[in-house]
Formats: sequence, C-alpha cells, structure tokens
Amino acid sequence: MSVLAAIRPDDWNLALFVHILGAMALVGALVLVIVALAERNLRLGYRALLLGVLPGWTVMRGGAQWIAEKEKLDDLDPVPSWVDIGYSVSDPMLLLIIIATVCAGLAARRQRQDGPLRGTALVLTVIMLVAASVAVWAMSTKPT
Amino acid sequence: MYHTLLFFHMIAAFLLAVTIVMYSAVALGATTSSRALFVADRCWDVGGLGTLIFGIWLALNLDQYDFFDFWILLAIALWLVATGLGQSVQRRLGGEDVSAVNAMHWIRTIVVIALLVTMVWKPGA
Repeated sequence: MSVLAAIRPDDWNLALFVHILGAMALVGALVLVIVALAERNLRLGYRALLLGVLPGWTVMRGGAQWIAEKEKLDDLDPVPSWVDIGYSVSDPMLLLIIIATVCAGLAARRQRQDGPLRGTALVLTVIMLVAASVAVWAMSTKPT
Repeated sequence: MYHTLLFFHMIAAFLLAVTIVMYSAVALGATTSSRALFVADRCWDVGGLGTLIFGIWLALNLDQYDFFDFWILLAIALWLVATGLGQSVQRRLGGEDVSAVNAMHWIRTIVVIALLVTMVWKPGA
C-alpha cells in the first residue's frame, strides 16, 4: 500500500506541485498574520491576509480541484474520506478568510489595536491554521 | 508507518514555508519585529531538521528508493544550499547592504521551490 501511495503517473505532478505550493504559501501567510496581529501590527496582518492568505488559498484550492479531476477522485463512490476532509476544511476557510480580512482591514483603517476587530481576525486566523493542519494530516495519512 | 513519516515530513516542510513567507514580507518592505524574525528562524531550525530526518527515514522505509538515488542526493544538496543562504541572511540582516540580503533571500526562495520540484517529480527515481 505504501509503495502504491509513493508512485503516481507523471502527468499528475504539475497539479500536485501547484496544490502543495499554494498550501505552503497559505500556511506561511497564516503564521505571518498571527504573529503580526499578536504584535498589534495591523497593517502587516491585513496585507498578509489580502496578499498572502487569499492568493495562497486560491492556488491551493485550484490545484486541489485540478488533481482531483486528474485522479477522478470525485467520481469514486464513496468519495474517500480524506478527500471529503480536504473539501470540508478548505471550502469554509474562504468565508473565514474574507471575514478575517475585513476585520483586519477595518481595524487597520481605524487604528484600533485592542478592539474586537483585531481579536476576531486573530482568532479566525488561528482556527484556519488548525484547520490547515488537519487538512495536511488528512492529505498525508489518507485515513479511510 | 509511511503515512506517519510523510505527515511529519510535510509538517516540517510547511515550517520551512513559514520562514520563506515571513522573510519575503521583510524583503518586500514590511516592518516586522525581531520577535517575528525569531519565530521565522526557529521555524527553519525545526523544519530544516524535520525535513532532513523524516525525509531520509522515508527514503529508507520504502523499498523502491535508495539513499543514493539522484533525487535524494539533489534534495540534500539543495537543503544544504538553502540552509547556508538562510544563515547568511540571518547574519547580515540589519546591516547596510539590504539589497544583498534581499537577493540572498530570493535565491533561498528559489532553492526551496526547487526542493519542492525535486520532491514532486523525483528526477532519476
């Protein structure tokens, strides 16, 4: 089974590369947002959400759809649980990204370093990082 | 065993990505504290060791890969180059030659992307 898991057709590689590259940018930017907001650097937190987290999520999700189509994972019945976990983590994350970005943007604009807007953006970003870790676990261990 | 090792290898690789993204923010002109750079540097320390240890363990764990396969040796060489560049960036950060520090950071970023390419395409496997 582990041998099968380690071998894949060459034409899946580009889609997998795009998916992982996007996921890495997403996770890296999430940690940057957490550090920035924890230090009350609202401008950096907002920019990292807008210019790091959102594009990272888009590339990760696009790559996920691309490789799922190549592997015909969505056609399987039942769909493997690790694929379900991936979708159920990544799709709601977009909503959290939008809310966190709006909160961080408003906080930065109003220069409110201790208000609920910064706290909301920070908590949502921590939730997203935990969810991303669950997705990495599901993608690498592929629980059935 | 394979999947557990792969999970820890992936987590370690994501820590390397954290360092790259945080230093990229600095290179792009973001104002960050020394604490943020401390977090970035520790992520490289843990992620660098983790990718190396779990990566080699993974290669030894699977029968179809050998430690002396071209792609594994290439990955180790790229890892050494990226780590060396990172240490150089750490030492020179805060000095006068900002453009040289930024250039080294971007070269490290390209090397890390090349590492990912090596991991996915496995040339010579």
